[in-house]
Amino acid sequence: MHTASDSPSTIALIGNPNTGKTTLFNALTGANAKVGNYSGVTVEIKSGETFTPHGKKLRVLDLPGCYSLRAPSPDEQVAVDALKGDLTGYAKPDLVVCVLDASNLERHLQLALQVMALKIPTILALNMVDMAEKSGLRLDPAKLSEELGVPVVPMQARAGKGIIELKQALRFPFPTAAHATWLPGTDDTEDTRRTFIRKLCELAARRPDAHQLTFADQLDDWLLHPVWGWVAFFAIMFAVFWGIFSFARIPMGWIESAQGAVAGGVESLMPAGDLRSLLVDGVLGGVGGVVVFLPQIVLLFFFIGLLESSGYMARAAYLMDGVMARTGLSGKAFLPLFSSYACAIPGVMATRTIDSAKERLATIFIAPWMSCSARLPVYFLIVPLLLHENEGSWKQAFVLFAIYTLGTLSAFVVARVVRGKLGPDPTAHHFMLELPPYRWPQWSYICRHVLERGGSFVAKAGTLILGLSILLWALSTYPKADGDGEDALAASALGRLGTVIEPVMKPLGFDGRVGTAILTSFAAREIFNSSMAVLFRVDKVDGDEETRSSLRDRLALAKWPDGRPLFTPLSMISLLVFYIYALQCLPTSVVVAKEAGSWKWALAQLAFMTGFAYAASLCVFQAGKLLGF
Amino acid sequence: MEHSLAADFGNESAMTLNQVGVGRDVRIRVLRGPGCDRLRDLGFCEQVQVRKLTGGRNPICSVCGTRLAISRELAEQVLVAPMH
Repeated sequence: MHTASDSPSTIALIGNPNTGKTTLFNALTGANAKVGNYSGVTVEIKSGETFTPHGKKLRVLDLPGCYSLRAPSPDEQVAVDALKGDLTGYAKPDLVVCVLDASNLERHLQLALQVMALKIPTILALNMVDMAEKSGLRLDPAKLSEELGVPVVPMQARAGKGIIELKQALRFPFPTAAHATWLPGTDDTEDTRRTFIRKLCELAARRPDAHQLTFADQLDDWLLHPVWGWVAFFAIMFAVFWGIFSFARIPMGWIESAQGAVAGGVESLMPAGDLRSLLVDGVLGGVGGVVVFLPQIVLLFFFIGLLESSGYMARAAYLMDGVMARTGLSGKAFLPLFSSYACAIPGVMATRTIDSAKERLATIFIAPWMSCSARLPVYFLIVPLLLHENEGSWKQAFVLFAIYTLGTLSAFVVARVVRGKLGPDPTAHHFMLELPPYRWPQWSYICRHVLERGGSFVAKAGTLILGLSILLWALSTYPKADGDGEDALAASALGRLGTVIEPVMKPLGFDGRVGTAILTSFAAREIFNSSMAVLFRVDKVDGDEETRSSLRDRLALAKWPDGRPLFTPLSMISLLVFYIYALQCLPTSVVVAKEAGSWKWALAQLAFMTGFAYAASLCVFQAGKLLGF
Repeated sequence: MEHSLAADFGNESAMTLNQVGVGRDVRIRVLRGPGCDRLRDLGFCEQVQVRKLTGGRNPICSVCGTRLAISRELAEQVLVAPMH
């Protein structure tokens, strides 16, 4: 008997990968957890709350997808442990909602029977019944319920259909654990279960006899073709980069204009002095130098969301398997690596879907070389400077594409070395991948996800980057010295730091100011832009005709003391190369240490990537100089 | 034991999934090898009808309405018989 004073009962959502558990979790709890149309999106337990129709609170656990309770991969093991109550911090579930893809009951009922055999009260949620019926499957949920002895709720979690019916089934008292109706006097073996499922599906989920050639089959003929598949892959990736550059221009212009207007307003209202300089150069310059790239960040997450929810990601992983095999990894490693283009942290966590522990370690090691969204502000500051503003979007997109390709290919080479050092697996692991049906993107989810990521980018700019910008401004202003412009900067704490590190950075083609900006960006990569805005503010002073120009214009005019331009194509390429390879993200190192189970691994990765970034940048600049660039 | 079972099917049916032509429908007779359990978890169970959609490095098969790609090593562990 549950009373209001009891701690809430726990229900767990379990099922094969890509059956819509997280979509159902979001619908039940109002959360906005990540969903996608491929296996392995959820790799850790998510917890939320929902209420029964009578107002009783329930704790809902969204478990990673698993094909069986045998669980060879780490993410599946988490689900199995949670189900058995063996996971610290989570109560054993009082009820399990087994989420099944209604189109694949023959396969998914195997896991459901394994769960029911644990004698935990179970409800079956038949998800995506619309797609099952569209494919010609004739479902009989009542018959299923009768034969299995558990409640069966047909639903479409994406459209919110069946949620009320499921909540009705969650009423207290919970249904009792089902008896094994598939055991009429026989042993509970896998054969018995399979025979039972086959007979049950003949009764309650009849499939049209002939295999029908679906739209997905026809599309796959092209997208998985050994030649056209690769053409499509590169075309899609290039279109994403082109889209980011082209579509972001207009909103970026608005942000720059607004920033200029606010700065102009502050300058006209306030007398010249430290406070005005703090607001205009420190706050507006530092934060603005990062926020101006919000449209690109939003577009990147939008395009990644499109690819993830359409079903193309699994196709890309399939195509990549051959390439990845040469690096000692498999196509399965591609999905975590692709996630790392957005952010390395979920990418590193997504490696839990990889069965082989050694392949997983190698994938974790290289994940930060997939250029994450935090590098975008740096790339977007430098790439247009490299090509001049008036160059077409496609040229800029090509350079960006080349940056991503360089990072990815280098990562593959390192993976091969690391994988070789780790040695062969004690047991063989083979490639297997489910290719989900193509689906229309979940626009509402993508919009919420993009807003959330955009919001967190702005929040980061308003907190961490704002704080560091103010600190950077103070360090670049004090102690004060007589004189203006570069003399004042040289006397400041940041200027002195620049003087100290300039000998180390000069062989890479950077002066002390750029070196200081790189050093500060170890706190967060985006800080590079803020530091550059603060450090290069002095270049805009031009007698009485002080004009407010964009940071990029100021960088284009920056010079060495002897009058040579500071930012030559070679020094800019050297800078880009440094940012492709440098690991400047403490949260990533923390997650790597946790997932790899060793701080040594995380520290070795940090040391290797920092050293490699310096060496690569040095080689590019020195080789370029020798070649006369 | 499993080998002798496979031999019982006769020459015509004793073929692996790798040997099946693209576009052919077959029925799984026996699974043999270390990947059997995982294959069964994925839906490659005895008596299940399968259509081979592509060949190559990782053949794609349609199993119970789902497209699954498995490595050639795993496909070698699936013994099938043609549908009549």
